[in-house]
Amino acid sequence: MKILIVEDEAKTGDYLKQGLSEAGFTADLVRNGVDGMHEGLSGQHDLLILDVNLPGLDGWQILKALRAAGRELPVLFLTARDQVEDRVKGLELGADDYLVKPFAFSELLARVRTLLRRGRVREAETLAVADLQLDVLKRRTTRAGKRIDLTAKEFALLELFLRRPGEVLSRSFIASQVWDMNFDSDTNVVEVAIRRLRAKVDDDFTPKLIHTLRGMGYVLEIR
Amino acid sequence: MSAWRHSITLRLALAFALLATLVFAALGTYLSRSADAHMAELDAHELLGKLALARHVGMHESSPGTLSARLSDALIGEHGVTVAVDGENGPIFRWPANQATGELAATTAKTGETPLRLTIDGHDFRVVAGALETGWGETARIVVARDIRHHTDFLDQMQRDFWLAVLAAALLTVVLGVLIARRGMDPVRDIAHTAGRISAGKLAERIPEQDVPPELAELVSAFNAMLARLEESFERLSDFSADLAHELRTPIHTLRMQTEVSLARPRGVDEYRDLMASNLEEYERLSRMIADMLFLAKAERGLVVPPREPVRLLELCRQLVDYYGILAESQQLELDGNELIVRGDRLMLQRALGNLLINAIQHTPATGRIGLSVCRQEGAAVVKVRNSGPQIPAAALRTLFDRFVRADQSGEGSGLGLAIARSIVLAHGGSIAASSTGEVTEFIITLPLTDGQADTCLAVPPGFGGQPHQDKGDST
Repeated sequence: MKILIVEDEAKTGDYLKQGLSEAGFTADLVRNGVDGMHEGLSGQHDLLILDVNLPGLDGWQILKALRAAGRELPVLFLTARDQVEDRVKGLELGADDYLVKPFAFSELLARVRTLLRRGRVREAETLAVADLQLDVLKRRTTRAGKRIDLTAKEFALLELFLRRPGEVLSRSFIASQVWDMNFDSDTNVVEVAIRRLRAKVDDDFTPKLIHTLRGMGYVLEIR
Repeated sequence: MSAWRHSITLRLALAFALLATLVFAALGTYLSRSADAHMAELDAHELLGKLALARHVGMHESSPGTLSARLSDALIGEHGVTVAVDGENGPIFRWPANQATGELAATTAKTGETPLRLTIDGHDFRVVAGALETGWGETARIVVARDIRHHTDFLDQMQRDFWLAVLAAALLTVVLGVLIARRGMDPVRDIAHTAGRISAGKLAERIPEQDVPPELAELVSAFNAMLARLEESFERLSDFSADLAHELRTPIHTLRMQTEVSLARPRGVDEYRDLMASNLEEYERLSRMIADMLFLAKAERGLVVPPREPVRLLELCRQLVDYYGILAESQQLELDGNELIVRGDRLMLQRALGNLLINAIQHTPATGRIGLSVCRQEGAAVVKVRNSGPQIPAAALRTLFDRFVRADQSGEGSGLGLAIARSIVLAHGGSIAASSTGEVTEFIITLPLTDGQADTCLAVPPGFGGQPHQDKGDST
């Protein structure tokens, strides 16, 4: 998967590129609007990460030009200003998602993956990692053959992990996906929820599947 | 022109002058009329007297010659009196014997015994006329006139003098009026002086209210009240800047210390990872604080304008209870009420109510209870968030919604949650109030509703044994 990053702020651009490369993507970085438009029109990328404030051409102009040229690649735009009009404008111009700076990198990664996955994979009806199995339709969870009773939210949480194995999920991403809570609050709700989920699916079993990455979030994987 | 529009002094002075002129003019007109009438009466008296005299003389004279002689005798020494007697065959007597007298006699054919005013050859006369029975049996016609130039001259002079006096009085009134008005405006100037002295550093200054005339008392007290409000907001702003610096300094200090200490000597990978994770947590807190501050700054400048989309309040509360309920592990968390739809921004309202719920959960003892209810009261949607717990003192209630105020001094949280909740509610055209009794602390959010349904709020909330709490907190 090839991602084009258009970002003029040097450090942000470099770390975005490094982070995405280390997450397994091929990332190209350009630092101004004109190059961004040129590269974007070349048609060799699967996703565009676009800063709104750019020297030369701004993000809106690039987005407009791309859509006018019939390029349908998903576009995630980054903005430093959290203005409702900005959001609305971006989405109206054909952007697929947006993030307000400063954002957590894990959040960006999660959104990028969502955008790349969109419309491609039919959602599986049974999910499994190691000996943990989830039947999405029947709402049944088993581990090592044993039935585990989960509340609706616990089930949704576990499903989120199983659909994104190996991905670091930030607390705010989890809160927004499972509870539809879309503002950052300084509480440990997600921590408590994960602890309870672990008590049911991890504590009495090996290997442990849900891991904490301090300061980043949580990941489900076999270590 | 602009001086006329703007100067109260000038306007007052001119108004005084106009008034004085009008009053004097009316008085003058009245006096001159009455002098005129008095003169006319005197003249009439004299003329009728002369007429009676001539008739008396005429009755006893037996020829025109003796009549003329007697009349001449009687009129000796009279100035300004004209007498003409005409018989059937022409003039009998003329006094004075000149052409003007003849003209006068000729022009007064229709005059009777009521005095008339006539002008002949530029002279003003008052005239009476009538029949004169002579001793020789002829009925003559007599005309008696008086030259009234003395009187008209006098009246003219009087009027000229009077108008001069009026003009002088008007000018004097303007001058005095300016002085008086200036004097009257002194308190206003004092207010202006005081206002001019006040700067950001001297907001404590007030205009003394006891020295001010009652007409200006309202202005002065409004002005002082404005100063008081300014002083308070300014103080809050200064405090806020200091608080902000302090709030930002603390996490930055932590970051700096731990980074410096860690870099002081080589360490293992795990230690570095720990350090960076810990830094990340601080950065996150800083980002959140800055985002919150920006939100509040925008809200205070009226830049937060929520879109007007339908938001289901009860559903929103249920969702919040679902989420934050996870934190209320040992406490009892209840939700009741009926669905109400308000217009606004769902995310913002979620945040406002969420902040109140977090606050309630954090301040409820382990075995306490937290209640959330949605109902309708007086055409508005009311969301109540109440929790059992220690009473918040009245003084703390007043500043509860200010930034960086933490009721318990624990230092937990950003201290911005309630301020943000209030900003959001205000931006939605609603109000927020807090009250606290010995057992229950309650936050009441009111949001405008547009439909016209019946109230559903209960006087005593179910499940909360305490008495109804009516003491409203700071709702500004």
